[in-house]
Amino acid sequence: MGPEISQFLAGMRKTMEQVVLPNLSDRFAQEQAGIVTATLAFLEQVHDKVFHYELLEHHLYQRLLGQTLDLLSVPEVTDPEIVETLAAIQRQLTEDPPGGDIHLYRYDRLRAGNESMKELLCALIRLQPALPDAVRTALGDLLQPFFRDLERRERSWVKPLGFDAQADQLPDIAELLYCNDRLQLPGDGRP
Amino acid sequence: MSDRTPVQRQRSAPTADWIAGVRARFPVERTIDDVLTRKLERRSLPAEHRTDPAALEKRLEDYLRAVTGQPDLEFANLQRLTGGASKEQFTFDLRWRPEAGARTTRKLILRMDPSESIVETHRLREAQLLRAMRGVVPVPEVLWVDPTPEHLGHPFLIAEFLQGTVQPEGGDRASGLGMYFAPELRDRLKDQFVHHLASIHRFDWRTPDLSAYDWPQPGTIDGNLWSLATWERAWHEDTLESHPLMDYAAAWLKANMPTVARPVVVHGDYRSGNFMYTDDLHINAVLDWELAHIGDHHEDLAYTASGILGCPDENGTMLVCGLLPRDEFFARYRELSGLPVDPERLFYFEVLNYYKMAVIAVATSLRTAHGRRTHLDAMMNLLSGFGYIALANLQRLLGPGGGR
Repeated sequence: MGPEISQFLAGMRKTMEQVVLPNLSDRFAQEQAGIVTATLAFLEQVHDKVFHYELLEHHLYQRLLGQTLDLLSVPEVTDPEIVETLAAIQRQLTEDPPGGDIHLYRYDRLRAGNESMKELLCALIRLQPALPDAVRTALGDLLQPFFRDLERRERSWVKPLGFDAQADQLPDIAELLYCNDRLQLPGDGRP
Repeated sequence: MSDRTPVQRQRSAPTADWIAGVRARFPVERTIDDVLTRKLERRSLPAEHRTDPAALEKRLEDYLRAVTGQPDLEFANLQRLTGGASKEQFTFDLRWRPEAGARTTRKLILRMDPSESIVETHRLREAQLLRAMRGVVPVPEVLWVDPTPEHLGHPFLIAEFLQGTVQPEGGDRASGLGMYFAPELRDRLKDQFVHHLASIHRFDWRTPDLSAYDWPQPGTIDGNLWSLATWERAWHEDTLESHPLMDYAAAWLKANMPTVARPVVVHGDYRSGNFMYTDDLHINAVLDWELAHIGDHHEDLAYTASGILGCPDENGTMLVCGLLPRDEFFARYRELSGLPVDPERLFYFEVLNYYKMAVIAVATSLRTAHGRRTHLDAMMNLLSGFGYIALANLQRLLGPGGGR
């Protein structure tokens, strides 16, 4: 099926840059057309990586929630709201288990699963003051490497938008997602 | 983008119970509560934001005739302004008789809320503070304000239009939001820039009419509590998806909140791009007061000095707002204000400011575009790129070795 999305986007951006922008006289319209052009350039860079980005996030959030469940499912954790949230995490991981076939579903389903998992993790973070000190510290230790990877991934994703003064030191998002053209899912046991 | 979870559906179509719950959870100032609550109550309205210039012109003219009591005033040249990301701005010429004055023509500026804004703020607060600051620092004169949608469909204020330069030629050569000033500009502007910030913080805010502000008690956490609650509430009202680092940061900010020893007027957005200077290099206006509140002076200091708003000089030294090195900025500020600069408080507010930037540029900007509620929907999407850099800075500060 053609043309490919990248060709549509490149065609629109060229038209904006070479035809529309030079012929606009209204400054507000010029400013907004410039933003549309920059947005098209960004979409050219990322549109074919969205599904794999979300698939990686799905894998990482599932893994983190599983680890969190192991860590907090101990007798010392008695706060009713935390216990309730842990039960919700268990239900989520039962309905959409690690190693499942989410990659065969529509993008919308994948994204919905990710958003539900993020909400559950955030609920736990909001409740962490009620955790015993040692468990709270262990949860913090679990979160830190996750946050570091999340930050790298998000910055690489938005790098083509041009706001990052250190963009030249950041990997392209494709470098984070793929190795030998194949999506890398950490800890999935495959090379 | 769809609303895929029950929480997301509540945010997009908030019920009265949900709104009441959010209001109870976050203790914000009265007028901030007014604008945030109004935003939520109007969110379910189906109409996207549109501005019809002809209709606006008619309503504005009617308003001006009524408020001045001068049916013979002359109104002309309504023009939309570029720049800015939060309010719709127009200039126009008005010929009328100011109170006890001769008939005159002035170029004025209309600042009007869109249906939802990247920052939801109160026009009466902005007008009161601009009026209070006349003679303290250079600000435009406010002529009229209406914090309700009654006359133009949206709250607005009208002020004098000042001529000047906001961004020097080549000022956009830095990556990110930092603005570049050539050495001769820096030499002339940097001391004025620090001087005006010190003047804002030295100002006795208890004397003028600042009734739209809640006043924190000295030696309490009130000011900081309201400040964090404002941004945390905006995050939970607006974000399109949850983000664990934001909840982690909010928890840290609550656990480490300092008291405010001596509350001052906090500008809230004091940086290059928010002041204007004349051809003879005098700062003739400090702009964009909509985020101002009474709080801790370190909040402004940390914001103004944040790396994300800086720009390196020709030798690679990072300059605060592209104007002067960080150490020089703090030393000069101490000298001019007589106020202490406490590194621990600076760190706290650095975290708060990046949290605030992430709320603005990841949550509220994307929410307004999601609902097609502004005149700048395309820009609102693009600004998320800035928000994720703010998030990266939060991670840097709160991660191992970040200084917490």
